[in-house]
Amino acid sequence: MTDITPDANAPAEKPQFDDRIDTETRISNLEVARILGRCLGLLRSFPKLFLGKLGLSALAIIPGLYYQWIPKIVIDQVILQKPIAETETPFPPHMAPLVNTLAGLSPMEILAVVTAFLLVLLCVVGRGGTGAYFSQGEDSATQSENEMNRGGSGTGGILGLADAFVQIRLSQQLTNRLRTILFQRMARLPMTTLDDHRIGDAVYRVMYDAPMVPGMCYQVTLEPLFMIIGALISLYLMHYSYGDVAPQLVWVAAMMIPCALLVTVPFSSLARRVQQDSRAAGTATTNAIEESLGNISAVQSLGGMTREKDRIDKQSTESFRRYRHIKIVEILLRFATFLLLVGMAFWVTIFSTDLIIAGDMSPGDYGVLYGITLSLGGTAIGLGRFWIDLQGNAAAVRRVFFFIDLPSEDEGAALPSVGPLSHSVQIENVDFTYPDGRTALKHINLSLAPGELVAIVGPTGAGKTSLAYLIPAYISPTSGHVLFDGKDTGKVNLDSLRDQVSYVFQEHLLMSESIRANLLLVNPKASEADMQNALTTAGAIDFVNALPDGIDTILGRSGDTLSVGQKQRLCIARGLIRNTSVLILDEPTAALDPQTENALINALLEAAKGKLVIVIAHRLSTIRQANRIVFMEDGEITDIGSHEELMSDPEGRYHHFVELQGGSHQT
Amino acid sequence: MSELSQQPPSYSLRLQKTGDEKSLSPKAFVALFLRTWPYLKPQWPHLSVWIVARFSIELIWLFAALVAFDLFNNKVLVGEKLQPSQVTLLFLDDSYGTDFFDQEESDSSDTAPILTSEQRREVRDRLMVLFCFAATFIFILGPAVEYYRTWILQRVNQFLRVTMVERAEHLSLRYHSHARTGDAIYRLYQDSAMITSVIERILLEPVVAIGQVFFSFFVLCLFSLTLGLMFIGGIIPMLWLIVWYTPRLQIRSRRARTSNSDLTSRIQEGFAAIRIIKANRAEPILRQRFNNDSTTALDAAFYLRVEYMLMRMLLLFLVGIMMIATLFLTAGWTIAEDPTFLAGTVALVGFAIWNFGAFQAVQSRTSEFLLNGMDLVRIWSVLQDMSVGLDRAFFLLDLEPDVVDDDDAVQLPRPIQTITYTDVTFGYDPDLPILKGINLTADVGTITAIVGTTGSGKSTLMSLLLRLYDPDSGSITVNGTDLTHLQIDSLRAGVAIALQQNTLFATSVADNIAYATTDVDRQGIEAAATVACADEFIRSMGNGYDTELGERGGKLSTGQRQRLSIARAVVRDTPILILDEPTASLDAETEHQVLANLADWGRERIVFLITHRLSTIRNADQIAFLENGEIVELGNHDTLMAKSDGRYRRFVTAEVDIAPALETPK
Repeated sequence: MTDITPDANAPAEKPQFDDRIDTETRISNLEVARILGRCLGLLRSFPKLFLGKLGLSALAIIPGLYYQWIPKIVIDQVILQKPIAETETPFPPHMAPLVNTLAGLSPMEILAVVTAFLLVLLCVVGRGGTGAYFSQGEDSATQSENEMNRGGSGTGGILGLADAFVQIRLSQQLTNRLRTILFQRMARLPMTTLDDHRIGDAVYRVMYDAPMVPGMCYQVTLEPLFMIIGALISLYLMHYSYGDVAPQLVWVAAMMIPCALLVTVPFSSLARRVQQDSRAAGTATTNAIEESLGNISAVQSLGGMTREKDRIDKQSTESFRRYRHIKIVEILLRFATFLLLVGMAFWVTIFSTDLIIAGDMSPGDYGVLYGITLSLGGTAIGLGRFWIDLQGNAAAVRRVFFFIDLPSEDEGAALPSVGPLSHSVQIENVDFTYPDGRTALKHINLSLAPGELVAIVGPTGAGKTSLAYLIPAYISPTSGHVLFDGKDTGKVNLDSLRDQVSYVFQEHLLMSESIRANLLLVNPKASEADMQNALTTAGAIDFVNALPDGIDTILGRSGDTLSVGQKQRLCIARGLIRNTSVLILDEPTAALDPQTENALINALLEAAKGKLVIVIAHRLSTIRQANRIVFMEDGEITDIGSHEELMSDPEGRYHHFVELQGGSHQT
Repeated sequence: MSELSQQPPSYSLRLQKTGDEKSLSPKAFVALFLRTWPYLKPQWPHLSVWIVARFSIELIWLFAALVAFDLFNNKVLVGEKLQPSQVTLLFLDDSYGTDFFDQEESDSSDTAPILTSEQRREVRDRLMVLFCFAATFIFILGPAVEYYRTWILQRVNQFLRVTMVERAEHLSLRYHSHARTGDAIYRLYQDSAMITSVIERILLEPVVAIGQVFFSFFVLCLFSLTLGLMFIGGIIPMLWLIVWYTPRLQIRSRRARTSNSDLTSRIQEGFAAIRIIKANRAEPILRQRFNNDSTTALDAAFYLRVEYMLMRMLLLFLVGIMMIATLFLTAGWTIAEDPTFLAGTVALVGFAIWNFGAFQAVQSRTSEFLLNGMDLVRIWSVLQDMSVGLDRAFFLLDLEPDVVDDDDAVQLPRPIQTITYTDVTFGYDPDLPILKGINLTADVGTITAIVGTTGSGKSTLMSLLLRLYDPDSGSITVNGTDLTHLQIDSLRAGVAIALQQNTLFATSVADNIAYATTDVDRQGIEAAATVACADEFIRSMGNGYDTELGERGGKLSTGQRQRLSIARAVVRDTPILILDEPTASLDAETEHQVLANLADWGRERIVFLITHRLSTIRNADQIAFLENGEIVELGNHDTLMAKSDGRYRRFVTAEVDIAPALETPK
């Protein structure tokens, strides 16, 4: 299963997988640093939580300072019954109050005091750490849940609980902030970019990449900070108590940190790459699942179930394989650092036992020393690992920032706004070429005014939809201008422009919510009467009322339980309810029977008075109602005029077009 | 108002159970984990090797620790003499050991024989060498076992995932019309992943932890029955806490999973409809909804963790009390040098009275006992979350496709002769029939046009032929064999359909055309494209047949997509062809060409055509006129037109009346 036979689609040959927008995924250490900086910027939004976490974590260090020394007292003073004054090594200063209390007491009394002290500690800070970590799977996506709820405390009890709560909330806020920004930016991508954007990719980035940000933030702030504080405290204590007896111990322990970093840093670029690839493969799997199940009726009708299953199988296998690469890097790293730690433990053991045997230290000292050096070693390894973990987080967060940084439609928010169309839409000398090189429009000149019903007519692929897309600036002219009431649509606030335009698409997409919610989605202020009117005009009111829950009927996925014609009418109603000054209907009646269509067109004419209505259509019955007909062929406008005008030219392209359509009706 | 105004459900710390948030019964809980077995079974050889390897590592550690503990603490650090077995183990000479006489003496006197400093170092060095051997072994085996584990568990997960995908692909559209894609994604990822932890959480960790709990408990009892009784007493409130928290954890976990799957759906649906969102300036509303869902999901995850951490804190408090009590008691006994309960008589332990060694041993056993106990609690809590995940994963597998193969299902008969609908009635919602008493026969070599008003059931009629649904009553037969007796795959392999909603996939043009076939070469693809009048525009695109289409084919115009759909149907070369509004978005010229090509290509086949266009309808061999789910008229154009007040005639007249232009030019 690990080997995938290469074929045209084999992901193994295409490291970028489905990514058509985000193709350059390798980043340098410098860019990692930049990403780090941006993550820190996010932290700034939550100063209270962050400072709270900082304070609580600092408090959480304290119990460790005492817990470390209690066993020494119990062993040396209680069990071995040595008087406190006779300890080989002095106690550190923070132990002084306790030690002073104990001086001169009998072992049993010391035991009682120590027990009482422990009970107090237990109530306040508990014992051991606090955390909540649930089972996760063996790939990057399934581990996101634990990442976004990352939080815990080095201590227990009430303090530990508060510490962990604050951190989990902080993690969640960070994730939420980042993924909301990401979601918003992706929704604001230009239409041409969205054509290349996979839905599964959006799901993956929002759900599984964004949750890596808390880890990123902690790895630059809290974690190293507390590791270093912890290490310094350990070093100081060690130095204080054992500096005279065994200064070497202190220095060797201190050397662990640079050593660990030396071992791990060479892994960083590799760690980034495997993470990046694993996430890209996960995205491809998500794309496959999403596409397959999102189009299930097509898949089933075409008998593609097995094919889809195989495709997802292959993608998922590949994504698991890529995750194992992460695992290999991790294992190698652990191996290297573990070796370092064991070597260190060896040396400490030999060195300190020599001292104990020589009588320079007590047996109780060994436990303390061993504990401190191990924790120092752990800190060193942690710091080394933290650098590598950071690479994984950086790889994921890069994927988030990539989309946040893409030029989006938010760019022009400060530009002047436009109001309802009062004079005209002027299209001047417009050419349009898609990013992939297809030319869609050539030398378009057109003037449209409110109160007009304009039909755009022409053979399939003539550029009718592209022309209509110019008006709400879904696409921007490659050259030339589109003027909305004299203002260049490239230089106005896009939101204000789109507030003036309703566009009913060829695809009849409805959200799987109630009909009411579908209507309110586009105009939250619509009243009950507005909705009834829109449904009536669109010719949908009869079948909507016939549905069991009427307007509150929940539609299935993509409105699957309705017929195509019904969906089309709901889409038209949705276009009408915004009541904008420009209404564009892209093949609104293709799936309607002639009677329904006729009624619809008449209703539209009535509802559209004083507005600019543009209809893209093939049906003569629709076209004929238009004030003007714009006939297009191969991206160019060949004829403009009313039906009668255009029909009067027997050589005209329009005439030819009508003849063809009508020819078969002659009986 | 709408959903917009709904506040996200508030998650107070107080838990209120709603109907579908019941916790699992103990029986269902066990059954869930038993159900994972079929997915683990294929990996069983690997799993056993892994488990053995893992346990051997643990055993080596355990052995090393057991051997080293006494040797290091009492011999190296304190300087006591070694026991004979220890002397042998470290290949030392007899001067290191206690002989029989010494041992007798040591029991009754305070001055135990002592090792020289030289000897202590020697013992230490040999101990380190022994440790080196163990460490080397573990260093090599450990990483290998770790990687092996990931590999096996991924295979287990993959098997479950693929089984779930397969089921989801085959579930009837009736299910899919109510399910959300994001939910499936969540189940496939997060819920199914829970199976990877089953072996460890159910088998390995509890076995180790339970083993250690019992072992430590046994040893502790040997030292002192008082300790044993104290622990048993302490466990009772702990158990009560666990029992109280179990259903709470399950409910919290289910909420977290449900809300996260809703969030996934929100993203999926948002981007699937992104054009609509953009066109209607609904981005702020979408963002608001996303933010609500996101916050709800995060809150749910938070409260699951709150529940868990609270429980853990309370338990750890009880554990802490027991540990302090043990410390107090044992230290007291050690000072008093009280005799131990039975420890002295058991060779393994060798502590007749409470001394430093006995104190140390009891301290570490107590930690082991309590920490392993806590670990069991952790495992139990995590299992609750896992059980909810598995429950959601298996939910998908428990759904039976409405449409399934009969046990003795046969292949689609060929050559095909007739298709007959007899008294067919069907409704997506059984109370609202879409089709009523349909009778229709189509013979090979004919084209049947299905005509009728929007929503009259035309597409549904064809869905039944594909067995996307089965009729509620009545039957559909091919050459006299009922569809329900045919293998679904064989049936669908014999039917090509060009859908009204021309769904394209984000692959290349060629892949899209060849979507439903496996054995077609580029020539066949191009030939099909030519029939569909698509060849020309495909070649004009950047990479011709290798041009990548955007998400859902977003880069093509509807007319172009429609032609690709037709090509996709044609390329399959099937005996039955269904064209659902194939030409609605085509201009008249292209439409004529496509239909002429299809008529030519369609000989020897049964062709169904759903359409509104008169030009298309007129050439059909028979026309079925549908109204409100019933075939009200059936016949060819001329017969139907001959009926003076026929529905079809009215339909045609309406079309012609609306477009008088059709008649004026000539």
